[in-house]
Amino acid sequence: MSQLNKLNALDISWIMLMLITLANALVAETADKSLLITAVICFSIAFKGRRIMDYFMELNHANKTIQLFMRGYFYVFPLLIFLTDLCSEQLAAITTF
Amino acid sequence: MNTVTENIFHLNGSGLVRNEPETVNKIPGNRAVWVGIFAELTEFALFFIVYFIAKAHYPEQFNQGPLQLNTLAGTLNTFALISSSYFVAKSLASIRVNEPEQSIKWLWRAVMCGVIYLIIKVWEYHWNVDQGIQTNTNKFYTLYYYMTFNHLLHVGWASGSLIWAILGLKSGRYTQNNHLGLTAIACYWHMVDLAWVIIFPLLYVLR
Repeated sequence: MSQLNKLNALDISWIMLMLITLANALVAETADKSLLITAVICFSIAFKGRRIMDYFMELNHANKTIQLFMRGYFYVFPLLIFLTDLCSEQLAAITTF
Repeated sequence: MNTVTENIFHLNGSGLVRNEPETVNKIPGNRAVWVGIFAELTEFALFFIVYFIAKAHYPEQFNQGPLQLNTLAGTLNTFALISSSYFVAKSLASIRVNEPEQSIKWLWRAVMCGVIYLIIKVWEYHWNVDQGIQTNTNKFYTLYYYMTFNHLLHVGWASGSLIWAILGLKSGRYTQNNHLGLTAIACYWHMVDLAWVIIFPLLYVLR
């Protein structure tokens, strides 16, 4: 417990990111395709991105514009990944020329 | 001197980062590196959009493609990049408390992770070829090679920038009171890691 108390936000972030990556790998090896799995993976992308940006990149107190664009990127792309699975037929239809 | 700069620097992540003058409401590093970072992220965004459209048109290829790839290689590379980002953040924290030697050690660890990434990627490409996975096998693999090779190039030159930062620390160019160049290099490295955070699940995990 005393060792755990010595960990700072950087150490905790690293451990969390490694564990999430391991979980992602397990999903890749075992889980079948489903919208729920896609949603979980999208959430993990958003979480990992936010953790890296806030703690490793130190954007949590930085310039607001940079914060907005960087955080936005990791909200928009996980959402697009999910929407691609949810509306793949519609996407194929609107991109067929 | 304003109240922010009167406060003592503390290790990043120890809860007092808001007292850090170089990050509070400021652009970490310098403007130039952020122009580069946003340009690179735009490039990766285009790759992702192409991926979404291609997946909608060739669902079977994108469903089967990840199953044939080497998940172990992708996972180990993710470990290497996340660890390298952590080491770079530790290096920055060390220079802030005036421990340049410690900062250099953390950066060398980050460079080692970059080298490990490159070695694993070369092994993975050889493994792919042995499995008959080529750039023109199908649309999924074309995108896989395009994205991962492009990312590999970024890891390569970003590793070079880390070595440049090590030389800067050794020569005394980066010090406790003047290390914005090191911060800029750190931000670029984290961007390379962030791009992989999206690439890994797209290519290895999602069906």
